[in-house]
Amino acid sequence: MRIPFAAPSARTLPRSTGRRRRTGFAAAAVVTALSLAPIVACGGSSGSSGGGKTLEMWTFKQSHVAGLRAAAAQFAKQTGITVKIQAYGPDDAYTTKVQAAAKTHNLPDVLEVHSDGEDLALGAAGIATDISGDVGSDWSGLFQKGVQSSGTVTAERYKESLPSDSKSHGVKQGQRFSVPFTSGTFGIVFGNKAKLAAAGITRPPASYEQWLADLKATKAKDGASGGVSLGLKVRATGLTWVLQPLAFSLLGTDGYHALFGQDPATDFASAAGREVLSLYDRLQPYWMPGTQVLDIDAADQAFAQGKSDWDIGGTFTLAFLQQNGMNPDDVMAFGIPGPAAGAVPKPALGPLALTGLTVASTSSHRAEAEKWMRFLSQPSVASAFAKAATEVPATELGPDATQVMGPTLAGMTKTFEGTPQTTYDPSDSSFRAPGYDQDSMSDILADLTPLAQKGVAPTAKAMAELNDSFWKNAKK
Amino acid sequence: MTPLSHGLPRPAATTGPVPAGRDPAGSGPKARPAATAAPPPRRSPRRGREALSGWLFVAPALALFLLMGLYTVGYGFLLSFAQWNGFAPHWTWVGVQNYKDLLWANPLYAPRVRNAAAHTLYVMVAVPLLTVAVSFPLAVLLNSARRMQSLLRSVYFVPYVTSGIAVFFAWQYILQPDGAVNTLLKSLGLGSLAQPQGWLGNPHTALPTMIVVTVWLAVPVAMLLYLTGLQGIDRSVLEAAQLDGAGWWRTNASVVWPLLRPITLVVVLLNLRDSLQGFQTFLVMTNGGPGDHTNVLGLEAYRLAFLKDLAPTLGVASALGWLLFAAALVLALVNLRLLRSRT
Repeated sequence: MRIPFAAPSARTLPRSTGRRRRTGFAAAAVVTALSLAPIVACGGSSGSSGGGKTLEMWTFKQSHVAGLRAAAAQFAKQTGITVKIQAYGPDDAYTTKVQAAAKTHNLPDVLEVHSDGEDLALGAAGIATDISGDVGSDWSGLFQKGVQSSGTVTAERYKESLPSDSKSHGVKQGQRFSVPFTSGTFGIVFGNKAKLAAAGITRPPASYEQWLADLKATKAKDGASGGVSLGLKVRATGLTWVLQPLAFSLLGTDGYHALFGQDPATDFASAAGREVLSLYDRLQPYWMPGTQVLDIDAADQAFAQGKSDWDIGGTFTLAFLQQNGMNPDDVMAFGIPGPAAGAVPKPALGPLALTGLTVASTSSHRAEAEKWMRFLSQPSVASAFAKAATEVPATELGPDATQVMGPTLAGMTKTFEGTPQTTYDPSDSSFRAPGYDQDSMSDILADLTPLAQKGVAPTAKAMAELNDSFWKNAKK
Repeated sequence: MTPLSHGLPRPAATTGPVPAGRDPAGSGPKARPAATAAPPPRRSPRRGREALSGWLFVAPALALFLLMGLYTVGYGFLLSFAQWNGFAPHWTWVGVQNYKDLLWANPLYAPRVRNAAAHTLYVMVAVPLLTVAVSFPLAVLLNSARRMQSLLRSVYFVPYVTSGIAVFFAWQYILQPDGAVNTLLKSLGLGSLAQPQGWLGNPHTALPTMIVVTVWLAVPVAMLLYLTGLQGIDRSVLEAAQLDGAGWWRTNASVVWPLLRPITLVVVLLNLRDSLQGFQTFLVMTNGGPGDHTNVLGLEAYRLAFLKDLAPTLGVASALGWLLFAAALVLALVNLRLLRSRT
């Protein structure tokens, strides 16, 4: 066998062979160095963007990019600081991207994050900076009242963070990891005005029963596309966007909270729980075929393409519909209506901060990053952004809001208006068991509708049992 | 011989490169005792440089193996006994609690894992059987094709070459309520077989449909393996069978099939392993849905590791990975036993 590189004695070789060996030795060293370079690089990157007055910002919303870039151009003119905006989506991909970048020290300076969840988890993980010392009342006072403390570790959120398996375990009360950027709510129903008019529907329904009658009318008019689309591939949408607001309006605050409690007389298996599930199950004939395998964007797309007459989303959905060729003026939008005989027949959907802005802990331009975030919070900048992105900004726009956001988006914000007793608060989870998992609950609910695998009673029993096991597990 | 051999002292007699099977002195094996009798050579600086050069060449592979192989495996094993989210400065040791949580103790994990295990088992039985059932006859037919064999082979290999996210998305469109499969069935007058909710939207058809897609992906390689085996069969064996009066069916069933049994075992093993650990198709096409009717163990491990929004579930995911490894090890041992006993 010929031994590679095992050359004959140097004395028997011409000089050129010796040179070749030296060259081979050098080549081996270069190959080794180059091969190991990426490994070394993985651990040694310095982090955020390079230039002295250049910031980098990531968002998971493609619809925000144009508005952010326009704001960045204005910001550069005023301050000389350039902001590069980059979008990564969908949400899951963005989350993975941020985590991977945090591991390789390649985070940008500013991140747009999901408010009051992801921001706190990033803070607990050391990826987001605590900016509580820099956000005074002069800054937080710019936001709508309901979202001014968004991103802050309140007493309630601190309590939620205490279990060792909490996503935000390790945060301290009073810390702040983001400021709100956009606000809104879930559980908004969109209707295609033209198709609805063809079925004789010209105004939003006054009650859940009337909405079901409207659904029946559109389905009768067009059996193939008369239904309602909802991105049920994302498991929790049915539970959190439809069933929970319905449960609130049927049972009122206490009854709704009790569904997730430990008392068998009031939990999902109780008469009240079964009534809520029956109400939700009445949507069964009206789902768009195949909506159970569509993610949120695909379901919205189906609506924009005319495959469904109705779509369930949030205030943020309008921007996506517009991006997909729908004129906001051609859309009828309203909150999930309550049942006529419910405890809260005309429920309001409480606004919450949907996305926030956070400074990455690796940023070497913290002051500039906060300056940019504060700039985005200014009413004039927020107005321009709202117009460009068709989003409800977290900043209080005052009486000009309707003019800035347009009639459809402004109309949606009317669903926010209610008293504390009549407003469903989607951000309140204080009444649930620590470790509660909405995805597992949603899997059970999906078997009721749209999959029609189980009836109301077995679904109620399974949900109550799972909920009970969360409480038992929390007590261990 | 590996490059590591450079560092070893070589017999003095071999002063130059010696081609295999040739002796420069022409004395053959008889020359060796004289060579062995010579004193061992001193390690010259040249040989040191050669050794260093050899080590430098293998260093990248060695470093990668130590980093990606041993270190990662050891790290993952330790992680399965801890609670961690990937970023917290310290691990919280929980002993075997992660394993207990997955198997029975935690209502958040155990029911989902049991459900996913049932689906995985279903896939593990169906995919290897169907792959063999499709690829063996296909290979036999392709082997007997007189014309365009290369073209046909390439055509049947296309699914393997084009596999990827785009193909999974294409399948999704095909299987939608208004997709190609339903349209075809309706146009053939088989509308009653069409799925109004789509083939992935009906909980009863979703998992079988995913199995069909997985088999579609697995058939090309299996077929190629069978084709290789078929071309290695001695023609005289087949001619002898034909002389004994065996027809096409009998020859394939009683001669070819038993001769290709080792390949069948390899095909089965490869598909068992893929069915046990693979999840990409499920992730892209159904994400475990509708509901959790297509959730499989690989997907559950991925979800626990990367889609829990920084919850400290990396340890649980790692524990599930090790449970999958244990199952794969048992399968490999069974397969090894079968290979030894049947060949």
